[in-house]
Amino acid sequence: MLKRRVIPLQLWEKGRLVKTVRFEPGRDVGDPVKSSQVYSDQDADELILLNIGGMKDDLQLFSQTVKKIASCCFVPLSVGGGIRSLQDADILFSSGADKVVVNTATYLEPNIVTEISQKYGTQAIIISIDYRWSVGEPRLFSHGGSKEEDITLKKHLENIAGRGAGEIMLQSMERDGSMEGYDLELLRAVAARVPAPMILAGGAGNFSHLVEALEAGADAVACGSIFNFGDNNPIRAKAYLKNYGIQIKKY
Amino acid sequence: MKGALESLGWDPLLVSTPREITNASHLVLPGVGSFRTAMLRLKEAGLVEAIRGYAQTGRPLLGICLGMQILASWGAEGGGEEGLNLISGKVVALQTGPGIRIPHVGWNTVHLQSTHPLFDDTKNEVDYYFVHSFAFEAEKKNQVYSETEYGVRFSSAVGRENVFGVQFHPEKSQKNGLQILDNFCRWDGLC
Amino acid sequence: MKRCARCGLPETYETIQFDSYGVCNICRQHEYKKDKIDWSERKGMLDSLVQDYRGKNDYDCLIPFSGGKDSTYTLYYLVKEYKLKPLVVQFNHGFMRPNLLANNERTFKKLGVDVLSFTPNWKVVKRLMLESLIRKGDFCWHCHTGIFSYPMHVAIKYQIPLVFWGEPSSEYTAYYDYRENEIEKVDESRFNRFVNLGITAEDMKGMIQKDFDLDPRDLAPYTYPPIRDLKKLQYQSVCLGSFISWDTKRHFEVISKELGWQGDEVEGMPTGKYSYEKIECYMQGVRDYLKYLKRGYSRVTQMTALDIRNGRMERQEADQLVAQWEGKKPPSLRLFLEYLEMSEEEFNKIVQKLVVPPFKPDFQKIPSAGQTKDFDRWYREMKA
Repeated sequence: MLKRRVIPLQLWEKGRLVKTVRFEPGRDVGDPVKSSQVYSDQDADELILLNIGGMKDDLQLFSQTVKKIASCCFVPLSVGGGIRSLQDADILFSSGADKVVVNTATYLEPNIVTEISQKYGTQAIIISIDYRWSVGEPRLFSHGGSKEEDITLKKHLENIAGRGAGEIMLQSMERDGSMEGYDLELLRAVAARVPAPMILAGGAGNFSHLVEALEAGADAVACGSIFNFGDNNPIRAKAYLKNYGIQIKKY
Repeated sequence: MKGALESLGWDPLLVSTPREITNASHLVLPGVGSFRTAMLRLKEAGLVEAIRGYAQTGRPLLGICLGMQILASWGAEGGGEEGLNLISGKVVALQTGPGIRIPHVGWNTVHLQSTHPLFDDTKNEVDYYFVHSFAFEAEKKNQVYSETEYGVRFSSAVGRENVFGVQFHPEKSQKNGLQILDNFCRWDGLC
Repeated sequence: MKRCARCGLPETYETIQFDSYGVCNICRQHEYKKDKIDWSERKGMLDSLVQDYRGKNDYDCLIPFSGGKDSTYTLYYLVKEYKLKPLVVQFNHGFMRPNLLANNERTFKKLGVDVLSFTPNWKVVKRLMLESLIRKGDFCWHCHTGIFSYPMHVAIKYQIPLVFWGEPSSEYTAYYDYRENEIEKVDESRFNRFVNLGITAEDMKGMIQKDFDLDPRDLAPYTYPPIRDLKKLQYQSVCLGSFISWDTKRHFEVISKELGWQGDEVEGMPTGKYSYEKIECYMQGVRDYLKYLKRGYSRVTQMTALDIRNGRMERQEADQLVAQWEGKKPPSLRLFLEYLEMSEEEFNKIVQKLVVPPFKPDFQKIPSAGQTKDFDRWYREMKA
């Protein structure tokens, strides 16, 4: 049977990794290549690396980092942050990425999703949705959480559905860096609506949060602060999950 | 893939011409994209005959993920397209169902059906990394070397003589996966 | 909190997994070690290994050494059993106790070995302790990384390919498993898996340089050397405990008798019972205290669990010892707070964030542990 995944989520900014809190500027949490190597040695199921500085100026530096990581870490690698064209995606795939993460483009140029999925397959795309609750409704944000998009979640999901989304990553802006647990409410609502695998991000502080999220229906949990600011690592996380009945990779 | 093979001490070459294929000692077909696009591009580049010709010489051939799928006779993706027809079978869409989300992404168990040199020194009943929406339905049972369960039991490894295909990504599957790649590089094509 | 039905280790113990009988993987690893590993075959492998490297370089091997029971036994065994000429390399974490230094002098002089000792920059150490406390609730980053990196640099500099460590990690945790029946490689992968707490020197550089006057070279002792240099050396970095069955109590008896190695009283540990355990560092008490606050168990639980596995103690006695001795605040905490210029409230606040569920510490009701006799000889910072 298919196992659940624990995925370290790393945020890249001008050559270093940072950790944000509620999407606000964050603290240095390490060197991107070394940190990825560490996670790879710690049996991470996959890695996600997002460029939060915006791709315009940094695509070259970012793609070089991706290349270095791909050459020494043999772990499924998903990268993104500021992908605006098929060419951006091409550069990242040829640098060694296995999947690309797309967010803003799904509002600005949803065609790109179709183009990428036609060339690389639908399974090569993760659609990332950043959101915040407002008066009982999820409001969607693009551009690294700085621009509110005037579209309902329902409509947005309909837009993406036809274009070839592989997986969907839901990221709670309010819970980001809070270490108080994931938002399970939206997960449940979206998981019921879409057939794609769900990755949940934002808020994990301890291993019990991971159990909650996986029991609530997440297929994978993306983790930032829990590994950077806790005496935790993917190996320990998975031992804990196993003790609580969650099926994790066996090797 | 290249990185993984290099880390094991092998010397992989990225090839794209029929001549390079005929000169190879071992051929790996990695795969990214869709069955239809891949086959059309191989046809365009005149590589279909080169690959079939290579396979006939008895030298080792390994298809990975989409590369394994195109070994089939036919694939349903994109409306239907002929494959390389090196291992009889067809490639059809995985179906969603209760608890089954598409694509099939993540770590799933490979249940070995019979031994094969490529699985030497690997453990049985362990997980490898999968990421696909279509799966191989082999025609001949004895050409199925492993099965994996995702809603249905599909063939996760198929083989016929010197041709072998795996649906999962050995280059992303830690020790067991790297062992398979290493075994392939040492393989003489006989089994 | 769930506990192992056999040895009592709690679910917050790192890497622990319980099987359908409620028995933990550490216990199962020990079973395998006792019943399934062919130790005579392993000894044969050690014989060959030693033979392959003997006499080929300036030293037959390098032995990283702390002076605790494990490294002392390792040094003793390799010198006595094989008459090897080792280079003994000691990374001084900064907290060596008087009794330990006396033990080491006796050991080195009795055995007759060459010894190199390295003490890193104390100012850098203090800053590293603070950062690793905040991020991991474990202030020993400099020690973990120094102990495992520095000797490798020496191995390269002196061209000594064979490096012998002491006990295999499978003795205590499941990052590596006896049941794989493999020789544990003490390499960079292992370093990343658990030794460095997931933080490399390159990571640490960016984390501390904003508020600390850091010369990048300051982190060299904590940086694992490049793999290409180690491969060129054709290094073999292994644990003696992969070739002989590790038995700390028996080893203690041997080194006491042969080297006059003396145990010591240790903060928060039952008097007279585990005098051989963790005597080499006077920050041990704070380390154990942090573990207790985060995870609800500490060294007493670990030692009694080991005794249970080796058939030397019943569970009832273990539970009694744990109830009586565990969870006390050590006198060394005062020193630690002094080094880091931190109040106990600040310390508690940091630790609170790092607690591992389901445990919940009660900061108010913690009794104090007794002082050890050498407490007044431990380093105090000069008042500014």
